[in-house]
Amino acid sequence: MDLPLLKNDLKALIVKELNLEGRDPASIDDRAQLFGPSQEGAIPSLGLDSLDALQLAMSIEEKFGVRIPEGPEARDIFASVDSIATYVASANVAPKPSV
Amino acid sequence: MARGAVAAGEDRIWLTGLGLVTALGSDVATTWPRLVAGDRGMSPLTLFGTAGQRSAMVASADLGGVFPPGYRPKEWSRTSLFAWKAAREAMVGAGLANIDGERLDGRRVGLVIGGTTGGMYETEALLADLHANPNRTDSLVEMISQPLTATGDRLSGALGPFCRVRSLCSACSSGANALIVGALWLLSGEVDAVVAGGTDGICRLTLSGFNALAATDPERCRPFDASRKGLNLGEGAGFTVLERASTARARGTKPVAELAGWAIGAEAHHITNPEPSGAAAARVISRCLRRAGLSPADVDYVNAHGTATPLNDAMEAAGLRLALGEHVERIPVSSSKGQVGHTLGAAGAVEAVFSALAVKEGIILPTMGLEQPDDACRLVHVMHRAHVSPVRAALSSSFGFGGMDTVLLLTVPELGPPQATALRRVAVTGAAVLTPHGLDDGSGASTLVDGSRDLEPAAAAGALAIDLTPLLDVGRARRLDRPARLSAVVVERAIAEAQATGSPLDGADVGLVLGTAFGSLDPSAAFMHRLFEKGPRFASPAEFPNLVPSSPVGHVSIYHGLRAASLATADLGTSGESAVVQAIELIAGGEAGALVAGSVEEASNLIERIRFCLYEGAPEETRSAPRRQRSEGAATLVLEAEAHVRARGGQPLAWIGAVSMWSELAPESLPPPEDPSAAHVVLAHDSADARVLVARSGWAGAKCTSVAASCGDHEGLGAAALVAATALVARGVAREVLVIGTTQGRGYAITLVSPDPASPALPRVATP
Repeated sequence: MDLPLLKNDLKALIVKELNLEGRDPASIDDRAQLFGPSQEGAIPSLGLDSLDALQLAMSIEEKFGVRIPEGPEARDIFASVDSIATYVASANVAPKPSV
Repeated sequence: MARGAVAAGEDRIWLTGLGLVTALGSDVATTWPRLVAGDRGMSPLTLFGTAGQRSAMVASADLGGVFPPGYRPKEWSRTSLFAWKAAREAMVGAGLANIDGERLDGRRVGLVIGGTTGGMYETEALLADLHANPNRTDSLVEMISQPLTATGDRLSGALGPFCRVRSLCSACSSGANALIVGALWLLSGEVDAVVAGGTDGICRLTLSGFNALAATDPERCRPFDASRKGLNLGEGAGFTVLERASTARARGTKPVAELAGWAIGAEAHHITNPEPSGAAAARVISRCLRRAGLSPADVDYVNAHGTATPLNDAMEAAGLRLALGEHVERIPVSSSKGQVGHTLGAAGAVEAVFSALAVKEGIILPTMGLEQPDDACRLVHVMHRAHVSPVRAALSSSFGFGGMDTVLLLTVPELGPPQATALRRVAVTGAAVLTPHGLDDGSGASTLVDGSRDLEPAAAAGALAIDLTPLLDVGRARRLDRPARLSAVVVERAIAEAQATGSPLDGADVGLVLGTAFGSLDPSAAFMHRLFEKGPRFASPAEFPNLVPSSPVGHVSIYHGLRAASLATADLGTSGESAVVQAIELIAGGEAGALVAGSVEEASNLIERIRFCLYEGAPEETRSAPRRQRSEGAATLVLEAEAHVRARGGQPLAWIGAVSMWSELAPESLPPPEDPSAAHVVLAHDSADARVLVARSGWAGAKCTSVAASCGDHEGLGAAALVAATALVARGVAREVLVIGTTQGRGYAITLVSPDPASPALPRVATP
C-alpha cells in the first residue's frame, strides 16, 4: 500500500468526518498528536476527543475495511496520522471503495 | 402553625398516585416487589432483528395484555401505550379516574410527558418500507403521524380532558423534568392536579446509536463496577399524579411522598460525555437541596442515574462526593438500571417513582450487577440485596445527552419547609429572529409585521440563503448541525441585545428552551437508511446524539456556555409558543433567572415530500390555496425574572403580561388592552382559527397582522411572532401586543406589555 497516498486519504477523512471546517487536510502534520491537549514543545494537537475517535474508527473501517480495536490498543493506533497509516497498511487489506 | 397547615403564598407538592411499566412488570404492584427482591429484567432483544449489533441485551417491557378502550394499533406507538398504562395507574391510584380512564370529578388536570423517541419504532418500519421502495407514498405520509406530541394526543383521548398538555425532551432527564413542570403548574395555582411522567420504547435507532457510541454492555450491565462496560437499554414508563398538599388534604387524599425539591441545569461541556469532575452535577444536586430547604444531613438514600457507562458512573460518584460532603460516607447510593435498564426519556420519572416508594416503604434499593466497586466510584454501595431502613429523603438524579442534568428530592411529607407559590414577573430583554430577510433583533423586527417586507411565497421557501459561517466560530461549532447553528446565531444576537443595557449575563444563570415540531426528521431518516444499507457497525456515532429532539438545546448551551435550566418542548405548529411559555413558567416559578427561549425549524426534504403527497391526495375543492413550500428559521427571546434584570441594571424591552394556553385557550378570559388604538395583535399564521379567537377576545378592535407573510411558513413561527411583538412594544409602535398561535384545535395566547410606565401584569394567576 502506498503510504503517502494513504496518509493523504486519512487526513481528508479526518477533515470530512469530523467536520474540521476550513482545515486544509494537507496542513495536518503526519506526526501531530490527534487527541487531547497539545504537549509542550510538540507539534500542536488536533485536540480531538473520544466521540471523534469512535467516528474515525467507524469511517476507517468503512473506507479501508480495517477494524480498529477498542481500548488501550486504539490509543496507540490513534496517536497520529503516521501511526494510523502504519496500522491500516499492516492490516494488508486492499482499500475498499466507499459506497 | 399547626403541623400540616399551609400559609398563604406557600404550599407543598405531593405525589398522590404512581404508575409504572418496566421490564419487571406492567404496574407498580408487580414491579416493586421484584425490584426489592433484586430481580433483573434483562434478556436478548426479540422486538426486532439485532444481527451485527454490539449489544442486544435489553430490558424489554410489555403491557401485560391490557390495551386502551377502542385500541387501534396504527394510532398507538409502543411509547404511547406504555404511557397510557402507567398514567392510568397513577390516576386510578390518586382517585382521579376509574379503571376505564373515566374522570371521577371536575378538577382541572394537566398532563406533562417527557420522552425522546416518541413513535420512532413505528416510524422505522415506515423508513424500512421507503428504503425498499422509495415511491411508497402511504408510508411517507404516515412518517409524521407519531411526533413527540402524539403521546399527549392519545392520552388526552383515552384519559382526558386535560386543560393543558406539555411534551418535553431533555434526553435522559426528560421524565424528571416532567415532574418539575407539573410542580410549577401546581404552585402557580393554574391546575388542581398534574399527571406527569416519562415514556420511551426501545427502537433500532437508539439501540444502534448507543452501540455505535460503544456505550453498551453486551452482557447484563454493572453500574459502579470496576468491570462495567456500558448500559443496557430499557423501556417503559413512569407516571405520577402531583397535587398541592392543600387540595389533596381537602379531599382527604394521603400522599405517597412529597416532591420537596428539584433543580435543572446544563453542563455546557460535551454533547455525549459528562463533565468529568462532577462539579456540574454537584451544582444541580446542591440547588435541588436548597430548593427543598434541606441539607445533605437530611438525605438517607440516593437513587443514582448510574447508567453503568465508565464515564457516567465515575462522574456521578465525584458529583455526589462534592455535593454531599462528609455525608457521602453515610448515605447509601444505588442504581436501578441493573434491573430495568436505561429507559432514556422515561428513566427520570421511573426512578422518581422508585425513590418515592423507597421513602414510603423505608427500603433502600440495591445495585444489581455490582460485584467489585470501582475505586473511581467510591460510595456507600448497596450490593446484592435491598435494606430495610427509614428514608426521610431520597435524591433521584438524571443526566442526559448535551449535559441536561435534573435532580429531584422525594421526602416523607412535611420534612422540610413548604414551597413559595408567589410568581415572579418576567421581562423580555432581548430578541432575535432569522428569516429570509436575514437576522433581526428585538428592535429591528417590527418591520416584519408592517407589510414592508412581505415576500412572495417562493422567495421565502426552502433553506435560508444567509451564510452562517461568519456568524459562528466554526472551530467550536463543528459538531453543530443545521438547527443548532441557526439557533446558536439567534441566541447570540438575542443575548447581545439583552446585554446592551446593564451588566453582562452570566452563563451560569442563563438556560435555553427551544421548541421543535418533529425533531430531526431528515437526519433520523438518513441515519436509518445508512443502517439499512450498511448494517449497525456503520451507524454514525457522531450523528446519533443529533437525533434526540433536545440536541439543538444541548449543542447551543455548550457553544454559548449556558448552564441554567435547559430543555426542548414540542407542540407541532405552536412549538415556539410552547417553548416560550415553558420558559416563562420556569422563570416565574423560580427555577431560572434568565432563559433564552424560542424555536428552530430547518428546511426538510422529507416534510416537503409529505406535504406534497398530502396536498396532491386531498380533494381539489379542499385545496384552499396554492401549495406553499415550507421555509426555515429560528427565533428566540431573552426572558428574565424582574429581580434578575434589575440586579444587573438591564432595561426590559417588554414585560410578559397574560398567558393562556392549550385546550383551555380562552381569549375572552384575556385582559383586554387598556387602549385598543395602541394595541396590536400578531399572528404566527394568518388562519381562520386565529382570526376567530381574536374576534372573541377583547382585542377585536386592535390592528392584526401575521409574520408568515414576511417570514415564510414553518412550525416555529410563533417565536418569530413573539420577536416581532417585542419589537413593536420596544419601538413604541404598540403599548400592548397579543400573540396568538394555533395548531390542531389548540393554541397559545401571550401578551407583551410596554415597560413604560412599568405597569405589567403577572403571568395569569388563576383564582382557585
